[in-house]
Amino acid sequence: MGQFIVGRILSGIVVIFGISILSFLLIHFIPGDPVRIMLGQNATPDQIERLTVYLGLDQPLLVQYGHYISNVLQGDLGTSLKTGQPVLTEILDRFPQTVKLAAAGISFAIVIGFTVGTLAAKFKDTFIDRMAMGFAMLGVSIPGFWLAILLIMVFSVKLGWFPIAEGTGLRDLVLPSITLGVLASTIISRLTRNGMVEVLSKDYIRTARAKGLDERVIIVRHALRNVLLPIVTVIGLQIAGLLGGTVILEQVFNWPGLGTLAIGAISSRDFPLIQGTVLFMGIVYVSINILVDISYGMIDPRVDLSMKEES
Amino acid sequence: MVKYGKVYRPIQARTIHKSPVNVGTSVFSKIYQNKRARYSLFLILFIILIGIFAPFIAPHDPIEPHYDALLSGPSKEYILGTDALGRDLLSRLIYGIQVTIKVASIAVGITFIAGTFIGLICAYVGGVVDNILMRIMDVLLALPSIVLALAIVAILGPSLNNAMIAIGIASIPGFARLTRGAALSVKSSGYVEASRSIGSSHAWILRRQFLPNVASTVLVYTTIFIGGAILDTAALSFIGLGAQPPTPEWGSMLNEGRNYIYQAWWLAIFPGIAITVVVFAVNYLGDALRDIFDPANN
Repeated sequence: MGQFIVGRILSGIVVIFGISILSFLLIHFIPGDPVRIMLGQNATPDQIERLTVYLGLDQPLLVQYGHYISNVLQGDLGTSLKTGQPVLTEILDRFPQTVKLAAAGISFAIVIGFTVGTLAAKFKDTFIDRMAMGFAMLGVSIPGFWLAILLIMVFSVKLGWFPIAEGTGLRDLVLPSITLGVLASTIISRLTRNGMVEVLSKDYIRTARAKGLDERVIIVRHALRNVLLPIVTVIGLQIAGLLGGTVILEQVFNWPGLGTLAIGAISSRDFPLIQGTVLFMGIVYVSINILVDISYGMIDPRVDLSMKEES
Repeated sequence: MVKYGKVYRPIQARTIHKSPVNVGTSVFSKIYQNKRARYSLFLILFIILIGIFAPFIAPHDPIEPHYDALLSGPSKEYILGTDALGRDLLSRLIYGIQVTIKVASIAVGITFIAGTFIGLICAYVGGVVDNILMRIMDVLLALPSIVLALAIVAILGPSLNNAMIAIGIASIPGFARLTRGAALSVKSSGYVEASRSIGSSHAWILRRQFLPNVASTVLVYTTIFIGGAILDTAALSFIGLGAQPPTPEWGSMLNEGRNYIYQAWWLAIFPGIAITVVVFAVNYLGDALRDIFDPANN
């Protein structure tokens, strides 16, 4: 177990190292002169010269990367060209908002996913089952930003329940997290249904029914527990995936998180900020995945961790 | 002699047709026999046809403004209404099919070619090459694909073509990994082993055994990736980093439409329906294909 954890963390560090190379190279992949593109058409040669030196672009690539990585390790991700703020400060300012949104989103996803999946399994091969699985299919096919617009049209414009505001209060959180929840719930509901169908045909469920137990008790106490395990992993992976999902949705809801920060940085060609957000998101994503892998091994003693390493 | 030749030809043709090499027919009949696959395929073909014949079907020009009909609701003249510049929404949606077809073929084309190539190389060559390529894929997979796509758009600059390239590249790691997995299972199968032991050339094994058997799995993945590529490109266009005006792209149409949700609901509804229907049909097809080709289900 300990060996697995160490191995998993080490391989995570290698991947993060790779991401640092990727985010470093980002600026070098730009076709043409990156400095000219950052400064725009009206830049004077003097300005270009100064930014080139400031970004260290006049030095050999390896030296540049050496500077970059040693700065990163000291928590210095550079300075935003637009605001003049340290990139890390900007990111840490926004990050809690994205976490808040993702946490609320995954909570909705779990509630929706379990409910829909259990209903579908309970009424397997009936109209309800087909409806539920159709709903899950629709969830993967509908663009998140459009679902967001639909919810805004119904609940903000028509009903006026959740006014379109600029805030980040509980009320502002409802619509974005429902949107995220619906999108993320689809895979959970599918897995719940399939797991539930299998478990409900088991002998111990028949025994429980024969005892005359209430159907709700059977499903919640006997069946759901046994379905839970594989779903926990998926939920973990979904949390990591939500990080990507929030990027676009934040834009629709004017949510001041990492997504709006990244998109703003791309629009204004603020490359230090772009590099910083890419690196930061990569680190968060990798860390979550490591945690999920490790916790999965801890929850389920049957999982052979050495096998997992292989695949 | 010529006479005999004529007599024998049809018989020869029939024998060739029956030989097990001819996989194509059985694949198509398999797909056709599956009700879900058939329906979704017909729907997709129908939509593609509308897109191809857009100039004959669309009632108006998709870009031409009608200043006498700004933001006018659905009517006899403009069936789905007009946008803020008085452009006919229905015509823009119909021409939008062409953009979507382009996205599906170019973005997924990039993913398909590079992903299959990398996946097959990794599985077939193995060893150091496999290790290095897969570690690079791991790094790229460590970012949510939309974030990777955003990073690529940041490099290339916002446009529809660059968005398609970005989405295409961003999906390569996932695709390569899936293909590698499928290929590995073929590689370890008995018949490849047997061919190698009787001294068949690498090229022959690749062409005659490896590729045909990996193909069905790759086909399923490709279909599934098409839905994702359409959604992601629409998303990039929606946030202004993809298609630029006046291109009739559904995602950017929704972006324009969301500014008018108080006055013109149709602008925020119909393009979304268009995206959802197309992606739903593609995903439905992918799902059906997976059922058809997944060995676990046979």
